[in-house]
Amino acid sequence: MARKRRVHRGIERKKAIWGWIFVAPSLLFFSLFSFYPIANAFYTSLFKKDLLSLRPPKFVGIKQYTYLLTSPTFWNSVKATAIFTLGTFIPLVVFSLIFAAFIMSRKRFQKFFQMAYYSPAVLSSVVAAAIWLLILDPRGLANQFVNLLMNSPGVDHKWLASIGMVRFSTILVYFWKYVGYFTIIFIAGMASIPRSLHEAARIDGANSWQAFWRITFPLIKPTTLLVSVVAMIQCLKTFSTQYLFVQSGAPRGPIDVITLNIYYTAIRDHRIGRASAMSIILFAIMLFFTWLQLRVSKSEEVSYM
Amino acid sequence: MMTINIEKKKKPQSLIIDIFIWFFLIGFAIIILAPLAFMFTASLMPSSDVMRLPYPWIPKTFYWQNFWQAIRGNDGSFIYIRNIINSVIVAVSITLSTVFLAALTGYGLAKFPFKGRNVVFLLIMTTMMIPFEAIMIPLYLIVTSFGWQDSYTGLIVPFLTNAFGVFLMRQYLITFPDEVIDAARIDGASEFGIFWRIIMPNSMPAVATLAILTFRSQWDNLLWPLLVVQSEEMKTIPLYIIKFSSEKYTNEGAMMAVAVIASLPMFILFFTLSKYFLSGSAVFSSRKG
Repeated sequence: MARKRRVHRGIERKKAIWGWIFVAPSLLFFSLFSFYPIANAFYTSLFKKDLLSLRPPKFVGIKQYTYLLTSPTFWNSVKATAIFTLGTFIPLVVFSLIFAAFIMSRKRFQKFFQMAYYSPAVLSSVVAAAIWLLILDPRGLANQFVNLLMNSPGVDHKWLASIGMVRFSTILVYFWKYVGYFTIIFIAGMASIPRSLHEAARIDGANSWQAFWRITFPLIKPTTLLVSVVAMIQCLKTFSTQYLFVQSGAPRGPIDVITLNIYYTAIRDHRIGRASAMSIILFAIMLFFTWLQLRVSKSEEVSYM
Repeated sequence: MMTINIEKKKKPQSLIIDIFIWFFLIGFAIIILAPLAFMFTASLMPSSDVMRLPYPWIPKTFYWQNFWQAIRGNDGSFIYIRNIINSVIVAVSITLSTVFLAALTGYGLAKFPFKGRNVVFLLIMTTMMIPFEAIMIPLYLIVTSFGWQDSYTGLIVPFLTNAFGVFLMRQYLITFPDEVIDAARIDGASEFGIFWRIIMPNSMPAVATLAILTFRSQWDNLLWPLLVVQSEEMKTIPLYIIKFSSEKYTNEGAMMAVAVIASLPMFILFFTLSKYFLSGSAVFSSRKG
């Protein structure tokens, strides 16, 4: 009996050792390339440190943060990011929900519509931005399409030139690229609702409008909240579209989102300390939304039992 | 069994709604697909046609010179071919290592009880909250201090695995039957042998989903190569597109030819493995664990 227990303990020990062996490479990786860099970013943000400069970094405490909080360029970036995020994620959630509900209501071509709506997400963001740069050209398709709809031949809507329009253009590109992606998430959420619920509602005489608002919508509320936060976090991280637009001559101010500002501050201006402080602020904002996401996804679980 | 015919005759009102939904879905499908159609058709037109009012949509003749210019480059250096090879090397290496390490770690976390396991899992999960954009500057300093700038090592190493992959594999493997693993142990298989010959082949759906997610995000990666790459030879596709689009002699048709070449691998993957593309997005909506 005692021997048996000892053997058992031996197996447990062996398992524990193998567990550590399997986990160790990733743990080492994450320490080196995730934890150390974020700690380092925080540390660097307390210094005045310049890239390529031979002077040793000077400790400045929270001065980088106080500088940023009074800097109009930083607040402009916060504003640009907020406008982009709000302007993108709300239409993304609303339209992907509508698309998903409409696609699910079809008996035929469900697969076709899913593939069609999803296909822009297959492109890389740089390719997407490159296509739209030509479409938004003064001679491009965007002007032709809008002028056809509004019957205003020959008007240039300055998609890449005026402040409001260049903001709208980045939102348009992002919306176009990701709406299908979120549609698929909603479709997966809706597909997990048991059919029997809809059939029961049908028998009780509900039309599809009522069935959607009384059954589908309440049951996909967790998916909706999850999609909202995921979309929001993704929008906060946007970089490629804005970068390519600025590279192609669009004004930087209106679309100078925080990530773009970090890149330019660090790489063009060589101000590593200030860029790190901005990174930490971005991290704090995202941490808040991730925390929100965790809370939301925990409190909103649906059970069909 | 008697079947009850629930759908009686359709009322005219619901017929109108039905037609409206069809129009709505088809209309948006056309709008969403139009820029893609634009990319493909414009790549086959001389630039005078690409920018003509109104846009012709159907190429009159196939203007293959665009693709020749895209591959050759404006300076005749054929550097795009090298850049495509770079993208393939980087994306494939990262995909292989991500899948391998994520599966290994996920297996360790799912099937091996050890002290501190939950702490390890939690630690790895917290890295999901650290956005790459917030650590790119320190990462850049680390990579340059190792002398890895402008090299494959520098492009690949910071992405060897990711927390989402570990999470995905752990969730998938937690339901893997213990009896199978124990039976293999009794048969004398080594622990690593079990992982490689039993766990890996039996988690193909999760592996495929993760592989596609990883490959795509690397094919799309702009920010990191922008930081570490300095020479034309080490550039990846997104960097080449940015360079090509800002060159003086680039015409619109050739620009779209470059875009088509950059997108073809993803489209081929999408049409052959669309199931895994769609399931990759759907992972978010699964609320298990």
